Amino acid sequence: MDHTHDESHPHVNYLLIFIGLCICTALSVVFDVVKMAPALVVFAVLAVAVAKASLVMTFFMHLKFEGRWKYIILLPTAILGVGLMVALAPDMAMHYYRYDVMQSRVVAPRGGGHGAGHTAEEGAEHGGETEAKEAKHH
Amino acid sequence: MSDSHHAPAMHMGLPISRAKLGMWLFLGTEIMFFTAFIGTYIVLYFGSVDATGKSAWPTDTHVTHLNIAAGGINTFVLLASSYFVVVAHEAMAKRDFSRARKFLIFTFALACVFLGIKSFEYYGKFSHDILPGRIPETDTQAIGKMELQVESRFHKRLDSVVPDSAITDVDGDGTSERDMPTDQSMVYYQKAAALPQLIDSAEGTRKEDYEALLALNGQVNKLREQIAGNKLTYAQADESLHGMVEDEQFGSILSGLHMSTPILYGNLFASVYFLMTGFHAIHVIVGMILFATVLAQGDKLSERWSNWVENSGLYWHFVDLVWIFLFPLLYIIPGNI
Repeated sequence: MDHTHDESHPHVNYLLIFIGLCICTALSVVFDVVKMAPALVVFAVLAVAVAKASLVMTFFMHLKFEGRWKYIILLPTAILGVGLMVALAPDMAMHYYRYDVMQSRVVAPRGGGHGAGHTAEEGAEHGGETEAKEAKHH
Repeated sequence: MSDSHHAPAMHMGLPISRAKLGMWLFLGTEIMFFTAFIGTYIVLYFGSVDATGKSAWPTDTHVTHLNIAAGGINTFVLLASSYFVVVAHEAMAKRDFSRARKFLIFTFALACVFLGIKSFEYYGKFSHDILPGRIPETDTQAIGKMELQVESRFHKRLDSVVPDSAITDVDGDGTSERDMPTDQSMVYYQKAAALPQLIDSAEGTRKEDYEALLALNGQVNKLREQIAGNKLTYAQADESLHGMVEDEQFGSILSGLHMSTPILYGNLFASVYFLMTGFHAIHVIVGMILFATVLAQGDKLSERWSNWVENSGLYWHFVDLVWIFLFPLLYIIPGNI
């Protein structure tokens, strides 16, 4: 047990890691300010976030120096975490239906007949008054 | 048959302290906790579409009052605090407890700075009413909200200036002839109806108060009719409110009122923003309690607290990790996707 105790206090230049993290933070702000393709900005800031997270986990949280138990504890949650995002993808990006017939956005038909099938956004574009006017009349 | 004598020789579990194992397992559940929020946010972001099917999530920082600079500074503050924790832990291992205490004080102070900046951001949201359930999403809702705000100011003033006896004591002899209506809107209605009579019997500033209320009552009724008849556009409503606020007679009652900018999906945005940053802020507060417990030991800080500092440090790094992802997801990416 003694040698594990020693391993948990390794010699790391924490200041250097901290400076690296600060540079990464500055980079994310630069990516936001500098004009570049939006998709590239998203990719860049996420890459920087992952790099920062790796630095914090590896050195500040000492995962680099921990035994293999770290995989037992962290892999299941990491897989489930990523799995959650992937499992949600079909509804977000892979659906067959068009948004303009999406059930939740359709305004239910009312007495006057007009207004049925209009989305809230269409209503908003035309001044947004249609629904309110009808609501007041009923 | 029994081999129970072997049992004590076995070392069960992982080669780390139980406290550390417990902390790591807890952090595993925390990963799931925040991943669920982030997943929800992504679904809501892409699911909140306009008629063309593209995400209409509010991204204009002039509208959402998201302060990227404040978020960036807070990222730096948390990173610095993480650095101080790890140095404090190192000092604990070297039995340099005064150095450890010094760096834990720095960490605690930076946690306070983080919450200070967060409060400043929250104040910006509160002062612009960027709150769940308080944001009009269409022009019609903005006009409706303005009507409610004007009515609310009118009713408040009516309550403070017109006594209940104006309703109950009809002949003014000091005795109550009528009961107060149970319906609050009827109370306001009757108080407004009593204004002409009150003006006749009052003098000085009191009379002016009643006259201002009567004039405002006329304006409120006119506004109600226009809105009910759907005769006001957003620009007209804005102009109308502006005229009322500027009015010499009753403008002071409505001072500070202005039309809210409609933000499509603004309420979802505010819910998500406050849920994610709010839960993160709660984690920061819990971390501060952990550090305060160590700091409360003062000079008595000893090796006994080494595990505590290590585990609260792990927790604190996780709080930092969450912010590392929340910052780009909430502040930078929305305008770019």
